[in-house]
Amino acid sequence: MAEVGVLCRKELKDLSRSRAIAMLLVFLSAVILLSVLVAAADYRVKLAEYTAYADALKAAGGSPTPPPNLFPLQMLRAGIEYLEIVGSLFAVILGYGLVAKEKGSNTLQLLFTRPLGRHAFAGGKILATVIVWLVVVAALFAVVALAVLLAGRAQLAGQDFLRLAIAAAHTWAYFIMWSLLALTLASLTRQPASGLVLALVLWLVIVLVIPQIGDTMDPDNQVPGGLFTSLQIDRTNEKALLTHFASYETGRDFVEQTSATKQYERAVFAYLGVKTQYNQVPLGAVWDATSHNSLWLLTTSVFTVAAAFLSTTRETLLRKLP
Amino acid sequence: MTDMAIQATGLVKQYGGKTALDQLTLSVPRGEIFGLLGHNGAGKTTTVNILTTLLPPSSGTASVAGRDIRTQPAQVRRVIGYLPENVQFYDNLTLNENLMFFAQLSGVQHPAARIRTVLDIVDFPGHEREHMGTFSKGMRQRAGIAQAILHEPAVLFLDEPTSGLDPQGVATLRNIIIRLNRELGVTVFMNTHLLGEVTRTCTSIGILGAGRLIYQDSISATLDSFPGQDSLEEIYLSIAAGTPS
Repeated sequence: MAEVGVLCRKELKDLSRSRAIAMLLVFLSAVILLSVLVAAADYRVKLAEYTAYADALKAAGGSPTPPPNLFPLQMLRAGIEYLEIVGSLFAVILGYGLVAKEKGSNTLQLLFTRPLGRHAFAGGKILATVIVWLVVVAALFAVVALAVLLAGRAQLAGQDFLRLAIAAAHTWAYFIMWSLLALTLASLTRQPASGLVLALVLWLVIVLVIPQIGDTMDPDNQVPGGLFTSLQIDRTNEKALLTHFASYETGRDFVEQTSATKQYERAVFAYLGVKTQYNQVPLGAVWDATSHNSLWLLTTSVFTVAAAFLSTTRETLLRKLP
Repeated sequence: MTDMAIQATGLVKQYGGKTALDQLTLSVPRGEIFGLLGHNGAGKTTTVNILTTLLPPSSGTASVAGRDIRTQPAQVRRVIGYLPENVQFYDNLTLNENLMFFAQLSGVQHPAARIRTVLDIVDFPGHEREHMGTFSKGMRQRAGIAQAILHEPAVLFLDEPTSGLDPQGVATLRNIIIRLNRELGVTVFMNTHLLGEVTRTCTSIGILGAGRLIYQDSISATLDSFPGQDSLEEIYLSIAAGTPS
């Protein structure tokens, strides 16, 4: 076990000084922050419009309608989309690099002529991945929460912070999954670049292609702004209407559910209230509705941990040296 | 306790249908600086990889410092040091951090003190805090030797240690290898193409041809046995061509 700690510490030190990783993370932070700032500006405009309307109505002796559903965590929609697309791509690159640089610099031979345990190398790499993403995701969500509070001038309740923490935990599992998938593929291929190409193909299918197919098949997406909204069909009638297309909707849902990205998005959007039907809904109810998404994401992440642990062994790595 | 640092019997290594080593039998006594010579593809690196437990042999047996590479690979790894060709190390870490990492992995008891000692041995003080990404090839090789002897190995394996070094770098490395052997009693097993260096550094040589050991003797006996040849290069070429004079 001590060897795992030694390998993990080395990896963390190495990663913390990597200019390429630092640049990727700064870029990711910047685009997420920018997306929150844009959403915050929009949020402030809507809030100001409502306040002006309410003040004017009160001055005229009337009573304004209740405030619109301005749920501040909805500001994170674009940020979460960046995380699921750009963030996962960075996670792939990080995971690939963990093995590729060892293969490319002949340090594997140095490591494996030391008395290391069979899984020490994999253990060190996995532990480092888990810690790196824990720190990065925690920092990202702390910045995002600050941006919502300061730029959005929103007030967050205790439960909102809990929702943010749950979203962060999902993001953590999601990034670990992508990094360890890339690490596994880089270990299993003689040329790590081949592993990277395979990982990118999977990334393309899971992150872009499958969700796009699901979105294209969604009847509500056939008209800009939403088919049901444009036809002035409310949520209840929309549900009643869709019961006539249950088989189609089940098929569409199945396609989407094969994508870990979609599982991540559904769960996180629900907890953050980005999806209107989960807005202001208690956490227990959100869990009841989306637990299968969270559990699938968790299962996929655990599967990649197991795959990385079993594939990144001395035997595999030495057999697959370039 | 055997007097042989390395003993290999009938080693065979096959990659798919290709035979890299064909019944290689080899003995290297303790205290030698042994140079393994051979054309490209003769099986030199495969031999080192098998003896350092990086590769399992297809058949045959071998022991290093009395430990069997098949049945006691972990014990073999405790008594060997290894420097592969063109090793890069971790460029984002300093020399001290790289050495500390390998010392900790090797279970060195007092790593900081041992690092100071090995840097003195390889005559490389004053660079501990420098990132290895800034090191020249010669500096990397010295650092490589330092990492290889951190845990006081009985046998040191070097794969083309002087490849790509300038003449001064070659001379420095030669002196380090000789000092390790004479002062610390380390048996050195090196692959090399530089026959001039072999004459200056090694005490004995072996020549591989098509995966078999076709010649082995001490340097002095080799030079005496081929009176018509002026250099080890000529001797090597005549042996490798299968026409010893």
